[in-house]
Amino acid sequence: MATPESITLQVDGQTLTARPGQMLIEVTDQAGLNVPRFCYHKHLSVAANCRMCLVEVKGAPKPLPACATPCTDGMEVATQSALAREAQQGTMEFLLINHPLDCPICDQGGECELQDVAMGYGGDVSRYTERKRVVQDENIGSLIATDMTRCIHCTRCIRFGSEIAGLRELGATGRGEHMRIGTYIAQSVASELSGNVIDLCPVGALTSRPYRYTARSWELHQAETIAPHDGVGSSLYLHLRRNQILRVVPKENPDCHQTWISDRDRFAYTGINHPDRLTQPMIRENGTLRTASWSEALQQAADLIRATRAERLGLLASPNATLEEYYLGQQLMTGLGSRNIDHRLRQVDFRDDAVNPPYPWLGCRIAELEQNDITFLIGSWLRKDQPLLNHRVHQSVRAGGQVIAVNPVAYDHNYPLALNCVVSPAQMACELAGIAQALKADTEGLAVTVTHAHQQAAEQLRAAQHGSIILGTAAQMHPDYALLRRLAAHIAQAAGLNWGTVGFGCNDLGAWIAGAVPHHTTEATTGQHAAQMQQGGCDTLILLGLEPEADVADPQQTAQALTQARVIALSAYRSPLLEQTADVILPIGVATETSGSFISLQGDRQSFAGAAPPPGEARPGWKVLRVLGNALELAGFDYPDSTHIRDAALQHHTTPLPDNCLGPDRAALQPQATVHNWQRIGGVPIYATDAIVRRAAPLQATPDAWDDTARLNPRMLAEHNLSAGAAVRLTQGEHSITLAVCSDARVPDGCVWYPTGLPGSTQLGASFAHISLEPA
Amino acid sequence: MSLRNAPMQTPVPHPDKTSLFRPDIRAEIDHWIAKYPPEWQQSACMAALMIVQEDNGGHLTTELMDKVADYLDMPPIAVYEVGSFYAMYEHKPVGRHKICLCTNISCMLNGSDHIYQHLQQRLGIRFGEVTEDGQFSLKEVECLGACCGAPMMQIGKTYYEHLTPQRVDQILDRLEAADGK
Amino acid sequence: MNTVMNYLRSLFLFELLRGLSLTARYLWRKPFTLEYPEEKAPVSPRFRGLHALRRYPNGEERCIACKLCEAVCPALAITIEAEPRDDGSRRTTRYDIDLFKCIYCGFCEESCPVDAIVETRVYEYHFEQRGEQIMTKQRLLEIGDQYEQQIAADRQAQATVR
Repeated sequence: MATPESITLQVDGQTLTARPGQMLIEVTDQAGLNVPRFCYHKHLSVAANCRMCLVEVKGAPKPLPACATPCTDGMEVATQSALAREAQQGTMEFLLINHPLDCPICDQGGECELQDVAMGYGGDVSRYTERKRVVQDENIGSLIATDMTRCIHCTRCIRFGSEIAGLRELGATGRGEHMRIGTYIAQSVASELSGNVIDLCPVGALTSRPYRYTARSWELHQAETIAPHDGVGSSLYLHLRRNQILRVVPKENPDCHQTWISDRDRFAYTGINHPDRLTQPMIRENGTLRTASWSEALQQAADLIRATRAERLGLLASPNATLEEYYLGQQLMTGLGSRNIDHRLRQVDFRDDAVNPPYPWLGCRIAELEQNDITFLIGSWLRKDQPLLNHRVHQSVRAGGQVIAVNPVAYDHNYPLALNCVVSPAQMACELAGIAQALKADTEGLAVTVTHAHQQAAEQLRAAQHGSIILGTAAQMHPDYALLRRLAAHIAQAAGLNWGTVGFGCNDLGAWIAGAVPHHTTEATTGQHAAQMQQGGCDTLILLGLEPEADVADPQQTAQALTQARVIALSAYRSPLLEQTADVILPIGVATETSGSFISLQGDRQSFAGAAPPPGEARPGWKVLRVLGNALELAGFDYPDSTHIRDAALQHHTTPLPDNCLGPDRAALQPQATVHNWQRIGGVPIYATDAIVRRAAPLQATPDAWDDTARLNPRMLAEHNLSAGAAVRLTQGEHSITLAVCSDARVPDGCVWYPTGLPGSTQLGASFAHISLEPA
Repeated sequence: MSLRNAPMQTPVPHPDKTSLFRPDIRAEIDHWIAKYPPEWQQSACMAALMIVQEDNGGHLTTELMDKVADYLDMPPIAVYEVGSFYAMYEHKPVGRHKICLCTNISCMLNGSDHIYQHLQQRLGIRFGEVTEDGQFSLKEVECLGACCGAPMMQIGKTYYEHLTPQRVDQILDRLEAADGK
Repeated sequence: MNTVMNYLRSLFLFELLRGLSLTARYLWRKPFTLEYPEEKAPVSPRFRGLHALRRYPNGEERCIACKLCEAVCPALAITIEAEPRDDGSRRTTRYDIDLFKCIYCGFCEESCPVDAIVETRVYEYHFEQRGEQIMTKQRLLEIGDQYEQQIAADRQAQATVR
């Protein structure tokens, strides 16, 4: 019986149900009926310009495109009738007229939609004897290779640009025979999601440049893993040949990343087999590092640890380690009687640790962001920090939602902001307090005057039915993070929204759950947090998977602390500071080379197996920690495999996660950020987040890679008689670096935008601190 | 996903639109923008390109198209698409008088080839070229909807029908005379 | 009766005589044994012997690293690695055939879209060192260069039936 919610139709003799207005192809796809198509994609708008999905509909004089034909009640459709087949074969013949016969050299060969459909619907001999058309290729950057002669003008890439990436960079210029897909003015495509057009392209017109010509689809084998660079937890397929990752493609996960992945997840694999990879354990002997056997190195490490008092022993873990590694690290420290363990390497403000939420997370499911009426970004360049969360926010804006932001830089978003409040870092707390005041919420004792903008933001927040407040990475590195977080919580409470943090790494939440934080365990004692350890609070430091000059809040201080301390580094890559300071280097595998689990920002635990063995003598991190535990004769280090560690780590973990509420009894906080002559704005650029990404050459060649300039706004440049491109000296503490300045109107007055994680910034200090600038 | 397209908007509107064009040009474009709903101001793209092209002596440049994109808050590529699609937009300099000769079926049957030959002889240029003095340029166009008067050509905004070599000469003489040559 | 016949047959070595009669018959015929290696048997243009990689007349190698031969090889004897050459074209950086694995089925030749990998008429070769059985790209191209005329003539002769 047909109801208004569902109608029935006959397709190839089968009775199918559909929603009224649903397109025919969606219904046939659900029923598993094959209708050939090129331009249709379930996450893109309907274009109906390839005409491949023509089907026969009873009563219609001509075949209709299934992708653009809404279902009606009692419709009778034939997808394989003589008329439909003839129409499909005719379309196929036209599509093949101008398509070159270069399948043997085409990277899409063997996995090509056009090849597959041509096998079913194409003729064996072409009737076309005229000259085929040739299209000049454009260089559109280091990630995507173009062979536009192969293009069949399905326009998926164009629609992806305007609907998903939010930035229409590709277009169809010219018409008829002369129509071509391109950027028209040959520029690099600058979207952080651009790699998805490689998957979208049904032919070999847009292919992966790093993968170009290296392998064919049939010689690859596929391994599943979880993206190790951001907290979205995208499911990936690694495609390997002879244990080498040759490319990365998304695995669909509608709850999380749909079918899209960020360029960072797609191309970071190019950094895995960098020459910097450590393949041998090393120990320091008479001041120099030499290679050693595992037993020698582990013995040395155990001796160093035994020789250190428990309260002067610390463990710093990368925010990208696995749950298992965090748990073993935590067990190791607990077994030795120390609580000095932390993974919040880039955070500087730990004043609020006592009232932290149990697991700071996103505060809602990722898919729920799409339903938001309002999204409030605080200190977050969401577009570059978490491209796929930003995609959801972008979709919410397309559906009529709004976004407001309080940021230290006028970050470019791919949607219009209803209110973009750009202030120097020191003023961010005041702005939030203003909005809190306008909402009549607690302002944490900050005296503020409520401006019109605050009122407006408060109105919008209050009016929203669903909304999220997101504290981003810039907030997390801020000297007043505790204050910003409290204000965000008050605003969220007053406006009835959820709030969450979007921090660094892919497994921030896993670290909290496994106990890789100095407080927050069943025991009453708290240990040193990351900043205290970076300030030299430990005599022996164990580094788990981090590059100490780039992954920390204050590289200067860290370098000093490491020089003074004994250092045991579990690391995949060598780096200058490690080679200078490490006493024992234990080489470990990166995420694709170890089994483990990540817990995404929305609280999903996702486990994966190692896809390839680590190079040389390197071993998965959890195995190294387990053997280190054995060497130290600690109890509870006899796990046969990583799943047992995971089960132990998760025994108290519950889903769904609790609300991000702050604990009671909060002590008053004073703002720590002060206004200086010059204030540095730090943050971490999209392609400087972790050791693998920093070594991925194709990503470093994109426009998103930082060009190693310090950015000032044009007004400041004029005021200090600097011209763009002039050399300046930046000084923090005792170190200074010389580099070029660049004019950037997005930076507020009195500020210098120069992030961390760059080769130059390893000499500098904290991200949001005083910096001095003089012409060099 | 729906069949209806959303307006193509850039995330950040251009901050100072007055700096893009002269006031008279802005007024002309605004006149066209006013004809559409506010969120569909991109519909004025074709008219804006026409206005800008005319002001630039008959052809468009990438910079001009970028300005139109900024003025209408459109992604530049969307303007390039429009500009490269329609035959009335020129991307290379044209002569003071752009002679658009129809060579489509009706005109061809009625002898547009002879007209073309004659124009070639008289002006010394072929389709897509400009005379050395920059006075005339020649362009091959498809049907302009004046088949009843075939063969025909369009110069500026005027249609000239029932062409013969003699009539072409007369027309060109008149134009040259009007230009004071 | 049967028993008697069998007895007589074995007594007079009847089978032996029959066998010797065959020998005697061939004894007076022209021998067709070839005095290899002084004499060589005729070889068909379809003969599947040692592999070679061919070049175009302008010296450009034919192989475009499509890897169809690697995929079709039933003995997994072919190993190819490829990357873009400096001029942007698709080329192999490694093309190895393990002649110990190869079963000379000719599928590689059949599958090649550009007639790059071929099996020549050459069947006289040997290896003295372990590892020599791996025909590298360099050696395959050298064989191709050496026998190009014959290879081309053989392909031409077979053109109508291939």
